Amino acid sequence: MEQYLALGIFLVVALVFGVVVLVVAGLVRPKKPSPEKLSTYECGLETQGPTWVQFKISYFMYALVFLIFDVETIFLYPWAVQFQKFGIFAFVEMIIFIGILVVGLWYAWKEGALEWL
Amino acid sequence: MVTLNHYLILAAILFCIGFYGAVAKKNAVAVLMGIELMLNSVNINLVAFNRFLNPGEMTGHIFALMVIVVAAAEVAVGLALILNIYRQRLTTDVNDLDWLKW
Amino acid sequence: MQIQLADFALMMPEIATAILAIGLLIVGLVVPREQAKGISFLTVAGLVGIWLLNFLYWHENASLFGGIYIVDPYTVFFRFLFLTAAIIVALAAKDYVNTLERNQGEFYALLVAATLGMMILAGAGDLVTLYIGLELMTITFVILVGYQKKEAKSSEAGVKYVILGAMSSAVLLYGLSLVFGFTGTTIIADMVPRLTLSGASPLLLLGIVFLVAGFGFKVSAVPFHMWSPDIYEGAPTPVTAFLAVASKAAGLAAFVRVFLIALPELQPYWITIVVVLTAITVVVGNLIAIPQSNIKRMLAFSSVAQAGYILFGLVAFSSLGVGALLFHSILYVFANIGAFAVAIVVKNSTGSDEIKDYSGLAQTSPFLAAVMLLCLLSLAGIPPVAGFVSKFYLFMAVIEKGMVWLAFVGIMMSMVSVYYYLIVAKAMYLGTPNREAKPISVSASTQIALVICLVAVIFFGVYPTPLLDLAMNVGYSFFPF
Repeated sequence: MEQYLALGIFLVVALVFGVVVLVVAGLVRPKKPSPEKLSTYECGLETQGPTWVQFKISYFMYALVFLIFDVETIFLYPWAVQFQKFGIFAFVEMIIFIGILVVGLWYAWKEGALEWL
Repeated sequence: MVTLNHYLILAAILFCIGFYGAVAKKNAVAVLMGIELMLNSVNINLVAFNRFLNPGEMTGHIFALMVIVVAAAEVAVGLALILNIYRQRLTTDVNDLDWLKW
Repeated sequence: MQIQLADFALMMPEIATAILAIGLLIVGLVVPREQAKGISFLTVAGLVGIWLLNFLYWHENASLFGGIYIVDPYTVFFRFLFLTAAIIVALAAKDYVNTLERNQGEFYALLVAATLGMMILAGAGDLVTLYIGLELMTITFVILVGYQKKEAKSSEAGVKYVILGAMSSAVLLYGLSLVFGFTGTTIIADMVPRLTLSGASPLLLLGIVFLVAGFGFKVSAVPFHMWSPDIYEGAPTPVTAFLAVASKAAGLAAFVRVFLIALPELQPYWITIVVVLTAITVVVGNLIAIPQSNIKRMLAFSSVAQAGYILFGLVAFSSLGVGALLFHSILYVFANIGAFAVAIVVKNSTGSDEIKDYSGLAQTSPFLAAVMLLCLLSLAGIPPVAGFVSKFYLFMAVIEKGMVWLAFVGIMMSMVSVYYYLIVAKAMYLGTPNREAKPISVSASTQIALVICLVAVIFFGVYPTPLLDLAMNVGYSFFPF
């Protein structure tokens, strides 16, 4: 518990320090806003073009297909751990599950989701 | 000592943050991220309940696994649709989705 | 938990539906595109086969795999409901699907997959199964709603549905996790003893509120109905028909099972919320339907109101209520899909969903106008057709529990609903058709769908006894109080 206390004091001091510095600076500094000062600052240069750069759309297709198949493997881990206990039944069950996934992969392939255009 | 209540409060806070993100964010992708946060807070709930209330069983863990997989499927479909919208209108801002009366 | 192979025999309809869905997907991949038209025939044949198979299970009352799945008359009744809806929609959707350039096979595969999700939702005996069924249904519907990739409205409706659907699922899931935490089990039937022993805690009540909100979204009860008009308008019309009818019934099936089987002891707590929800759903749904000029939006709000009527059966908290709820749901399937089927035909022919374009339909295509009229009358609950009897029993169930005011609100709002249904009838029968309007030709499969709806609406209006007895028996065996 005492380590937590030290950590807690540290956190409180850190927070208070940040707030105090900002408040004091805000009170002391001169206020002369100009458009130049209020403009967005980016590496000392003016921003050029949209900041949202477009990725090639194929990345997303791959990402989506990958996401699905990647997450489905979650089910394989508990199955692999308990495989010995459940025997042939669990094996057949998992084969069916993987079979369904294979149909999905086949579909994605046939629809051209795996082609790099 | 970290108790069940700590986990529940963490989950509740995460749920609220996720809900706020889903409601307040303009970018459709960010909205989906908010929803992910909500679902993950549920996962924390499930696993914590399982750990503290009936540690012998696996129900909560299995439930959490199912939630993770389903959430992935949901997000994949959502992203595909957003991608499609982006191709048509070059925007992912949900406020621009006003072709139907909202 | 012991897994018995015999349990799988009771799940044959679900397994057959899953095989049909994947089979259709494979057929769509293998068959060349020019021959893809046969897939609709295959779908209907498969669904009819499963429909017939389901007759074997009427007298089962089993809980499978240690309570995870339940096959009782309630499940079997809802299986029939979903399969019937799927068959009629598959028939009526044929013309629409033929207009698609590609991805024809997948449409039917998704339709069947959504049906599977609903069946699982109705039969789910534990919360995990319930969630899986719900999401299977929701995610497939998202794809179906956004099916027209080229059309912006459809994609937009899809995005809205996925965002709102996922949010409501998350809310529902949070409620489920709290209920799980409180009872320590996910099996719905095992919850009752644990809940009576420990009484109610604020945390559990919070969970119940979340459950009501989540299920309320799925059945589109006011104030969680905001998604439905937009999505109904944007989605392809066959999908809208299926969404408005079957997904609502599926959400309701799970709603009723969770609240009547798992939480009956807490009825004094949740009944207040549900009663308020029901009353405002009926009032708001009917009132907003009046000014709508688009037929799909009008039907969307009318279906919000119908959800309110169906919830009367849950509010009544009796076997009579459950029976009336089942009876009304199945009649609602025929009436609503019939109305939407006419809307599909008119949309395909004139390209418009506006009510004013139905002007003079009775002169150009009397059959279509007659189907539309009778279906709308059934939705309104006018005596000769089916909707009257079921609404009567719903009101009876509520009055029996002393909530006369609620029945009064329901009857008042039924009268209001007659007004906006008759606006369509007036346009069809008293309006003058466009000069260049020709009789609309209806394809054979759509005609079958229309005839099924028409016959059902008239037959069950004139002679409701067998179906009514059946629904009441199911209701009694499900909730014998």
